[in-house]
Amino acid sequence: MENNELIPKKHKILDVYAQTDLDITYIVEYHGPLVVGTFLQVSIPRVGEAPISVSDFGDGFVELTIRKVGTLTDEIYNLNKGDYMYLRGPYGNGFDINQYKNKHLIVVTGGTGLAPVKQLVNYFSDNKNEVKKFDILLGFKSPKDVLFKDSIAKWKKNANVIVTVDSANALKTWDDKEGLVTEFISEFKVKDIDEVEVIVVGSPLMMKFTVLEFLKRGIPKSKIWVSFERKMSCGVGKCGHCKIDDTYVCVDGPVFDFVKGETLID
Amino acid sequence: MGFKLSNIEFNDIIKELSKNHKVYAPKRVESRGRFSDTDLILYKEIEAVEEIVYDKKSTYSPKEIITPITQTMFYFNEDGYKEANIDDKKIVIFIRPCDINALRRLDTIFLKNGDTEDYYYKRLREKVTIIMIECKESFENCFCVSMKSNKTEKYDLAVRISDEGVLCTSNTKEFTELLSKYKEVDFKPKFVKKNINVVNVPNITDINKEIFNHEMWDEFNARCIACGRCTTTCSTCTCFNTTDLHYDDNPNSGERRRTWASCHIDGFTTMAGGHNFRKDNASRMRFKAMHKIYDYQKRFGENMCVGCSRCDDICPQYIKFSSTINKISNVLKEGGKDGK
Amino acid sequence: MSLDINTKKLTKNAYRVTKNRNYTALRVRVPGGAINAEMLSIVSEIAEKFGDGSVHITTRQGFQINMIPLDKVDEVNKYAKKLIIGLEINAVHPENGYPAAGTRNVSGCVGNRECPIAQFNTTDVVKRIEKIIFPNDFHFKIAVTGCPNDCIKAHSQDFGIIGQADVEYEYSRCIGCNACSKRCKKVSTEALTPKNGKIIRDSRRCIGCGECVLACPTSAWTRNPNKKYKLVIMGRTGKINPRVAMPFIEWTTEKIITKIILKTYEFVDKYIDRTLPKEHIGYIVDRVGFKEFKNFILEGIEMNDGAKISESINFGGYFNDKDRIFKTY
Repeated sequence: MENNELIPKKHKILDVYAQTDLDITYIVEYHGPLVVGTFLQVSIPRVGEAPISVSDFGDGFVELTIRKVGTLTDEIYNLNKGDYMYLRGPYGNGFDINQYKNKHLIVVTGGTGLAPVKQLVNYFSDNKNEVKKFDILLGFKSPKDVLFKDSIAKWKKNANVIVTVDSANALKTWDDKEGLVTEFISEFKVKDIDEVEVIVVGSPLMMKFTVLEFLKRGIPKSKIWVSFERKMSCGVGKCGHCKIDDTYVCVDGPVFDFVKGETLID
Repeated sequence: MGFKLSNIEFNDIIKELSKNHKVYAPKRVESRGRFSDTDLILYKEIEAVEEIVYDKKSTYSPKEIITPITQTMFYFNEDGYKEANIDDKKIVIFIRPCDINALRRLDTIFLKNGDTEDYYYKRLREKVTIIMIECKESFENCFCVSMKSNKTEKYDLAVRISDEGVLCTSNTKEFTELLSKYKEVDFKPKFVKKNINVVNVPNITDINKEIFNHEMWDEFNARCIACGRCTTTCSTCTCFNTTDLHYDDNPNSGERRRTWASCHIDGFTTMAGGHNFRKDNASRMRFKAMHKIYDYQKRFGENMCVGCSRCDDICPQYIKFSSTINKISNVLKEGGKDGK
Repeated sequence: MSLDINTKKLTKNAYRVTKNRNYTALRVRVPGGAINAEMLSIVSEIAEKFGDGSVHITTRQGFQINMIPLDKVDEVNKYAKKLIIGLEINAVHPENGYPAAGTRNVSGCVGNRECPIAQFNTTDVVKRIEKIIFPNDFHFKIAVTGCPNDCIKAHSQDFGIIGQADVEYEYSRCIGCNACSKRCKKVSTEALTPKNGKIIRDSRRCIGCGECVLACPTSAWTRNPNKKYKLVIMGRTGKINPRVAMPFIEWTTEKIITKIILKTYEFVDKYIDRTLPKEHIGYIVDRVGFKEFKNFILEGIEMNDGAKISESINFGGYFNDKDRIFKTY
């Protein structure tokens, strides 16, 4: 049984806080190496398993931000501080931080797409001398869907941050932008295309159109990085659900440059 | 070198094996076919050679012995997990050359893909002894020759079964010893040399992006009903779902299971929240077809499809997978333009 | 010159008294509507040689060969002999033509010789029933149909025999694709419900249509090879009270159904109103009462395990003669 890595292990929930009406962040006891952009299989025995991106990690903990979208996440929603969740992983390749060092880094996310890159954004925000320039464009559906508000406030001090919502619903207190992320890409001034690295994470549609905007501006495919979301189930390249072409998103991805990403036709 | 055994003598061998093996072979299950008063040929445990259906193709492939349709992974209660046990007995399978070649595809997915060997596959696979059923002649629809899977040396024992008795030859010491007391004869298994159904398998380097979006797939929106039979009978399809359930009388205990899944059946790519990556039947057909004859090869070096043609035998809509492969080849020949 | 004909004898010989004076029509029994080309050519030969070449295909799957001169009946019977023997109709003296006409041709849908949905070989069952009940002068209409779709309209017969798939579920073969439950909901009775990646079957709802077996991609659903049938009874058209046959027994066997039919002949023999030229079985049951009928015909019959028998039947239909329900003041 020791070599059966498909059996999840019990992890204590250290803290829980709500991000939005639908998104909750769990700080879970975790020891072991993690990489930004990877995911864990989160289980509630009796209910099932789901792939959840690592949104942050540190000494002895992992942060998981979970959106209530199905039966399993409904169950997870009921968990409190001191309860346990079951984890296996981490799975996937994640982002290679070194790829972006000393570059002009542009990160564009849509909705919960921010979670898998949050730790990376944190890193470069804290170590802003490690990037030449740092642009962040974060899109959400509406003001009440904005995630990681404290972090965003912090990033705003160290990077060029644009926060936009599809619709602010005429909310007076909303003093950020309104509109789709694709409308703001022109605001990033790129001096040297060779120095740019772009990360785009969001829904399939958001990624498609955002990447298109960057391509239009002459950014090479090899410098655009996307993180695919698929129905990852086993996490170890066996069950077949996340396969696209010859690629198993769970083991080869979820992070791809767009040279590869473009070939992945569902 | 080989041996000739009467059915009675061969049944002694089966009896001997049965002491510490479960012996599986294609067996007729009467009146359990899809239509009333038709039979199924399924892999079942047997006790005698006479039970083996050697002159027909089995409806389903032997994969269900090693990757069971439903497989409990572990049980759980408030305290934790308990791994599901398996039978102590080893496994003997009477299996045809194409299906032996299919077994290598299963091995590739479960043991080689990703960074880990699949625990549940491995523990059953390790138990398997292979007895090859000789296939001298092709059945209807078979295209094993086109898929280069008509031949194999990967067997422990090869048999030619007939009503008069069994001719066999072995690649292992164990079987040769077991057979040594029987009549020695010259026997070498023959393999299918030619199928009526010849398939032009495209060269993977010729596959281009256009073929993915080609209109040749559109007809399957109307023709394919997404029933999944082609994948459940397929000897190389390996996809599975994982589900948890709890027992009605004790909601705190339950189990996690694997069950076969199919890329043709609804829900295969549906994520929590409802987004579905391949909604229409044409794209599912294309996904399966390309996996069988293109992307698997790109990743692992040989085509996935072995040409057993069970999918062609079973499709209720008369969709012939072998024709689909030919269509792909034709479209590529015409430069990926309109394939009509 | 008018002929001297015993019309009672004529009709029992399967000839009709038609509106065309001096001409009759022969009714050819074709059990289950199953006929081969050779027999078909004899029908055509009789029509050409003796009739005006026209043939009517009856609703009971027989042929009515029209415009046969009444004085040719004996000659026609020589030809009919070939049909009687070829179609395996019981007759001690086939050269004399059909020995009876009261018990009608047993009709049947094409069944599983061709139909993918049918649960059994209807033609074989029809032939076995025909062998047992014919010849008989009592007016019985029987039809056999392969599945609850009831293509033969067994519901308008005195006895309608409907194939039921006694489906069995192999839990471990089920992949939870829900093809069966979706199909059942769409085309049948919603007897199947998905649960935990498997299926729960409500046996009270299941009518044995077999759609789940047809839909299942892994053969988790199969049919028990022991055939089961539903018997619907006392359906009819006609002037007084047309109505649909109602379920009497479900999940029973051919043997039991055959016994019930035979017992019903005894029942008719006992209760028929002989002052009438003929009395249909349904009206006899109406007159005598369902309870009495049920007790009579089930006496001595041992039911199979799992058979379901109707406690009471509300036949319904409608009455053309309103005085039967409305009293005129």
